[in-house]
Amino acid sequence: MTKIVVTGIGIISALGNGQEETLRGLRDGKTAVGPIRILQTKHHELPVGEVSLSDKELRQIIGMPASTATNRTTLLARVALKEAIAEAQLGPADSDAIVLISGNTVGGMDKSEQYYRDFQQNDNRNEYIGLHDCGSCTEMIAKEFPGQFKFITTISTACSSAANAVILGANLIKDGTAEIAVVGGTECLSKFHLNGFNTLMILDHEPCKPFDAHRNGLNLGEGAAYLVIETEESALRRNVPILCELSGYGNSCDAFHQTATSPNGEGPYLAMRQALQSSGLSANDIDYVNAHGTGTPNNDECEGNAMMRVFGDNMPPISSTKAYTGHTTSAAGSVESVISILALKHQFIPANLHYSSPIEGHSFKPVTEVRENVPLRHVLTNSFGFGGNDSSCIFSAYQKTNVCGQASENGIQNSEFKIQKAEETAHSSQLIAHSSRPTYIRAASQISLQAPLSEQWFDKPELPSSLNCDSQEANYSQYINPMAARRMGKLFKRAIATAVDVLHKGNCEQVDAIVTGTGLGCIEHTENFLHAMLDNDEEMLSPTHFMQSTHNTISSQMSLHLKCHGYNCTYSHRGTSFDSGLLDVLTQMHLGDIHNALVCGHEEMTPAYFRMLGKIGYWKKENADEEILRRHDSKGSFSGSCSLNLLLTDTPAANNLCAIRGMEMLYKPDSPQVDSALQRLLAQNNLTFNDISAVVMGLSGDQANDDIYLDFAHRQCENTPIVWYKHIFGESYCASAFGAYVAAVILQRQRIPAHLLYTPVSTDIRPKYILIYNHFQNKDHSLILLSSC
Amino acid sequence: MEELIYKLKEEIIDVLNLEGMKPEDIDENAPLFGEGLGLDSIDALELIVLMEKNYGIKLKNANEGKEIFKSIHVMAEYINEHKTK
Repeated sequence: MTKIVVTGIGIISALGNGQEETLRGLRDGKTAVGPIRILQTKHHELPVGEVSLSDKELRQIIGMPASTATNRTTLLARVALKEAIAEAQLGPADSDAIVLISGNTVGGMDKSEQYYRDFQQNDNRNEYIGLHDCGSCTEMIAKEFPGQFKFITTISTACSSAANAVILGANLIKDGTAEIAVVGGTECLSKFHLNGFNTLMILDHEPCKPFDAHRNGLNLGEGAAYLVIETEESALRRNVPILCELSGYGNSCDAFHQTATSPNGEGPYLAMRQALQSSGLSANDIDYVNAHGTGTPNNDECEGNAMMRVFGDNMPPISSTKAYTGHTTSAAGSVESVISILALKHQFIPANLHYSSPIEGHSFKPVTEVRENVPLRHVLTNSFGFGGNDSSCIFSAYQKTNVCGQASENGIQNSEFKIQKAEETAHSSQLIAHSSRPTYIRAASQISLQAPLSEQWFDKPELPSSLNCDSQEANYSQYINPMAARRMGKLFKRAIATAVDVLHKGNCEQVDAIVTGTGLGCIEHTENFLHAMLDNDEEMLSPTHFMQSTHNTISSQMSLHLKCHGYNCTYSHRGTSFDSGLLDVLTQMHLGDIHNALVCGHEEMTPAYFRMLGKIGYWKKENADEEILRRHDSKGSFSGSCSLNLLLTDTPAANNLCAIRGMEMLYKPDSPQVDSALQRLLAQNNLTFNDISAVVMGLSGDQANDDIYLDFAHRQCENTPIVWYKHIFGESYCASAFGAYVAAVILQRQRIPAHLLYTPVSTDIRPKYILIYNHFQNKDHSLILLSSC
Repeated sequence: MEELIYKLKEEIIDVLNLEGMKPEDIDENAPLFGEGLGLDSIDALELIVLMEKNYGIKLKNANEGKEIFKSIHVMAEYINEHKTK
């Protein structure tokens, strides 16, 4: 079993900037929640956990000039990241082995809500249009590292985002994709989500009281925190101090309600159980639980019920630290991971402030005063998000592994622990066998500008009729009952219809995981809420619009519909949102943690957002017929809303469409780096480029974009057929999903129709291996290798 | 009162997007939540916004809705008594 250790942490929240101020604040036992000072809003009746530094002061800390367009989410993140990478002593020399996984949901909303009128009416603030999405924040955050990340991605699962970043990072390390991962999350306060939470009537007008019988809601907070995690081997080799181990983690979907947790806390229960299982610990080993404990009536009751199910009569000390910091939403998972690590390191338990009496039915009381000198070995921390996205992580005091690969006995006398460790060692040898096995695409289902839920496009494609092509809708009434459908935007209906359809096609009843890529989420609802907020002066807003605006609503709606309690995650990283999700699923399949999964890409485009992106060169000006796209002598492409669901499995079967042989993701690579990633991919499969039957590329008609692909073709595949697909599916943040889809169908049908060929070459081949190459603005690149079954 | 009940039914159909439903289809004495219309907690929040927007009634706590939204009839009575516009 790969031991994963933490070698650096960085944090900023209302408690202060950095570990020292945070530690002092926690030990003082005083809340940092107070009146709003910086956020521009009329809702001054709501207390918040606001970072006391202004944007200008944050810029000074990281040395960012005032002229650089940015947002507060990015600034907070860079301050925290700076601290974490300094402690872990990361520098340019470590570049090739490090990935950055950052969670956020609000993205550049603090600026978008301020400049939204400008976006619509003039060109004064165009530089902020491209900084609105979550992925653009991660890109700006990555600049804080003096070296180069191997790749970067963005998780957006609302309030569990940062915890899921920790989980992905750990899985990538275990699977050998990365040696070191910088993981965490960030979120600034915005008028948008302050008003959004307010419409749900879950904001306390007083300082929040987690787990108290008279709790009345949460206080929003802001902040960022990052952890540097790596293999023990890497830390010892780099000779850096080890802070603790990341000993276990779990994620599960409650699949109960979009914003409420089930009464018995099924999702939280499963997440905690999984975390314990993966750590090889028993519930009795946990010395402290840093609970999610938001202070809302629903969360605290259900989380408490779930903890009672996990720990029974032996409840460990529990506290929620949200009364100190406020609920830092997407950052909460890493903010509270850092707090848990500080507790471990300094052997103390932070208090659950403002508690006086227990919730009816709860047999435990949280820790109400700071406890010093407590021997802590294992700390579990919970993070739950909208859509029932529930995650738990366990951090443990570091124990050096001796040469035999066993943890030294120092401090651990628990025989049960030893037995489980031994079982895991046996299990890990199986994992090696798993990683050499391919995974398969069992079935696919799409709704796009092509005929819905069919593969008519393969022989009879429909050509774009405008620069902003919406999807052809399916008949949703057969998939979704009217009471559920009435609140759904079209993106949710498309997601559910393609999910149900793909399971039907793949003859599969349930999956172990649902992973979604969406660059923007449901922008229709986001815009509705934003418009209403600006027009009605932050009054009388619809909770439905807010609730649907979070990116992971798509994934959670699928889980709700399919009653799927498995792993659930959402990637919002621009052009590689889908690719990131695919990598996550392939990694977990290689590790043997899941055996089948839905991997999907869902993107929609509204007229307003289309106009905004048009201002920054995303679209052609007048026409986008095939000839113009092929010429690729101007900026932009045409927009295509699209939804795709792929069913992946690790089981060979006659009806699988194709096998996935591997993938590589890269961030800002130069040509030699792309070429060597390709060589790695080929070498792993004992192939040379001559074995590749065709290369599927994301050619879109945009000059700069296509030049990268054609340069790659010139270097690698002079005589290999090039297949394109964006000329019939359009461009969108999730368009790359259709690259994989097109390649899978070609491999299944064993032919390439002429209309998919970018280059006029002979096609009387029976395709065996297909390479898929996608990049986004020459920053995020992905290479995927498929083969026929 | 009858007039208010009819108007309220129309407003509820509109704001909760109860497609294909007409005011005549809703029993004013049937429960809005659970059985009856089968609404949920998010609908309750939408109804709170509706009361504020159309009748100038502001609820401080979502729990207050539990009594008020027992049926359309109860809701109409409450609105009649408390409306400010």
